[in-house]
Amino acid sequence: MTQPILSLRGISKHFGGVRALTDVSLDLVPGQVTALVGDNGAGKSTLVKVMSGVHRPDTGQYLFEGREMHVTGPAAVAQMGVQTVYQDLALCDNLDAVQNLFLGREMTGPWWTGFRVSRAAAERRAREVLKRLRLESISLSRNVGAMSGGQRQNIAIARSILWEPKVVLLDEPTAALSHSAAAQVGDLVRELAAHGLAVLVISHDIHHFVLDNTDRIEVLRLGRNAASFASGTVTGEQVVNAMVGGNESINRAG
Amino acid sequence: MALTDTTPAPLPRRSLSERLGNELRFVPVAVGLVALIAFFATQSDVFLTSRNLNNLLVQSTVTGIIALGLVFVLLTGEIDLSVAATSGIAAVLMAKLVVDVGLPIPLAIAAGVACGGLIGAASARWITLIGVPSFVVTLGVGLVLNGIQLLLLPSTGRYNLLNSGVEKLASTNVTGAPAWALVLGAIALFALLRLSTHRSRIAAGLPASATTGIVLPVAIVGALLVGMLLFLQTLRGLPMPVILFLGLLGAMSYIASETRFGTYLYAIGNNAEAARRAGIKVDRIKIAAFAIAGALAAFGGILSASRILGVSVSSGGGVGGGALLLEAIAAAVIGGVSLFGGRGMVVGALFGALIIATVSNGLNLMGVANEARLIVTGLLLVIAVSIDRAIEKLAVPGG
Ligand SMILES: Nc1ncnc2c1ncn2[C@@H]1O[C@H](COP(=O)(O)OP(=O)(O)OP(=O)(O)O)[C@@H](O)[C@H]1O
Ligand SMILES: [Mg+2]
Repeated sequence: MTQPILSLRGISKHFGGVRALTDVSLDLVPGQVTALVGDNGAGKSTLVKVMSGVHRPDTGQYLFEGREMHVTGPAAVAQMGVQTVYQDLALCDNLDAVQNLFLGREMTGPWWTGFRVSRAAAERRAREVLKRLRLESISLSRNVGAMSGGQRQNIAIARSILWEPKVVLLDEPTAALSHSAAAQVGDLVRELAAHGLAVLVISHDIHHFVLDNTDRIEVLRLGRNAASFASGTVTGEQVVNAMVGGNESINRAG
Repeated sequence: MALTDTTPAPLPRRSLSERLGNELRFVPVAVGLVALIAFFATQSDVFLTSRNLNNLLVQSTVTGIIALGLVFVLLTGEIDLSVAATSGIAAVLMAKLVVDVGLPIPLAIAAGVACGGLIGAASARWITLIGVPSFVVTLGVGLVLNGIQLLLLPSTGRYNLLNSGVEKLASTNVTGAPAWALVLGAIALFALLRLSTHRSRIAAGLPASATTGIVLPVAIVGALLVGMLLFLQTLRGLPMPVILFLGLLGAMSYIASETRFGTYLYAIGNNAEAARRAGIKVDRIKIAAFAIAGALAAFGGILSASRILGVSVSSGGGVGGGALLLEAIAAAVIGGVSLFGGRGMVVGALFGALIIATVSNGLNLMGVANEARLIVTGLLLVIAVSIDRAIEKLAVPGG
């Protein structure tokens, strides 16, 4: 197996009295799609935010390409080539699609223009990416606040692949999507992995999305690693059991 | 690889109401301004004379410049209640440096403006560091500044600036060739900006229309500026406060709508957490916005001191900011800038300030008493915000 590109070792994180994560470890391998599953409140989003630099863990190691990182924030993680689609999408409703796609990474003119945003260049690049995702129907100059939930989710996904990342983290990317659109996200996820990216997907759709599109399944329960499976070797029931704390012997399988 | 249903939906054309909620946001308030002008023109013969419009324009500049800076803070979803007090203390500091210290006027003005910028930056540093609401901090800062202003004033309670040279800032008028050079230069700059946008769109292979992209906006801006110049030339030419206000307005519009910093202001005002996750240094942007507001407020105060030939206890609107503070906030809000952040245009400060000055000037000419003026201005504020809200609801269903 190839070396993991991003590894977490013994991560713990608490919010006040809530222990969101306890001693969690996770490996993301290039070319593989990893599913992160767990019940509501299991700590999935918190773990993604630790990986994306939004949360600083209380304890534990963050390894990227084999080296330990002292992550200072979201910008540093994006710089390393890790892109995230957050559960809440993290879009600015008063900006249009192009502005959201490039937010924080605007192409600009030189200092004497006051770093004027190069709108045309950005729009051109945005069109390319949306075309690649077959999203030409999305208006580029419309505020994303006026768009449907699915369109917004697609913009967030487009943003994550805009800069040819090495790792993509998707926190429930299909929640607002129709059945066919969700299947297309599944295709995208596998295509990204085929191009050598490491992909992490959170989904509650175990039976279809997770079993069909992922290589490994990592289960979190009450903020701890509960089980780890190779997707081809388990049934949906086994995964769900591990999520809710069913038969312990099954949890150790895989 | 595909993500949506492949129904070939046509590119959705944005409805008028949606555009009114965005780049045409200033249109209703501009229409309101024209209606007010038309109304007062029928009520008073004097209203449309060049002398009166000259006064009206100059009247609007101090409020307008303070509102201009305030817009930057409002866009980030914060508020600065100390802008009027900042304008007062900067004016007093400038006067003290000129009268007591004998500093050259440009240096004294620069010191006043820098002081305003520092006050804004310091308040914002405190707000972002501790996480206290900006209206509380800036309310307190405003009172502190009022106190310091009293301490800085001499025992007479007033610095006289008559014949100090400072009065020239407000009393200078530019006429003839220099005035034309200013106006044509501004139009040329605007045209160049539109042209560069147009050309970069063509270069990127994007749809671009020379008519709506260049010709129309340049024609409108050009007609307004040339019209204003021709009108004011019949009297004394372009008053310096008007030149300064419009120059600042142009610069600030550019910053807010064209630069990366401007985009960040809007992003933070709508969703600060999303901005942070996108790698934007939210605190720094807010500090810069407050610094701009402080510096512009200071400049507005200095301009006001130059107009009224002195500074006193009542510089900066008096204790708490008084009418000056309320009018600056009202100007921004009437101009379509949301108090909740992320919505509005810089040019709104111009329209808002003009509406307030028009109401005050027009009612004055009609012989209406001061109390009626306050009532009308207050009602206009409520009406303007209500119309704005209604348009927003049309633009963003459920928004
Ligand atoms: N910013 C926060 N402040 C306080 N508590 C938090 C915060 N974020 C998460 N938590 C808590 O941490 C725990 C894990 O939350 P998390 O969002 O990671 O769950 P999740 O697995 O993503 O759930 P879901 O499936 O509902 O998205 C929950 O108990 C939650 O209340
Ligand atoms: Mg979650």
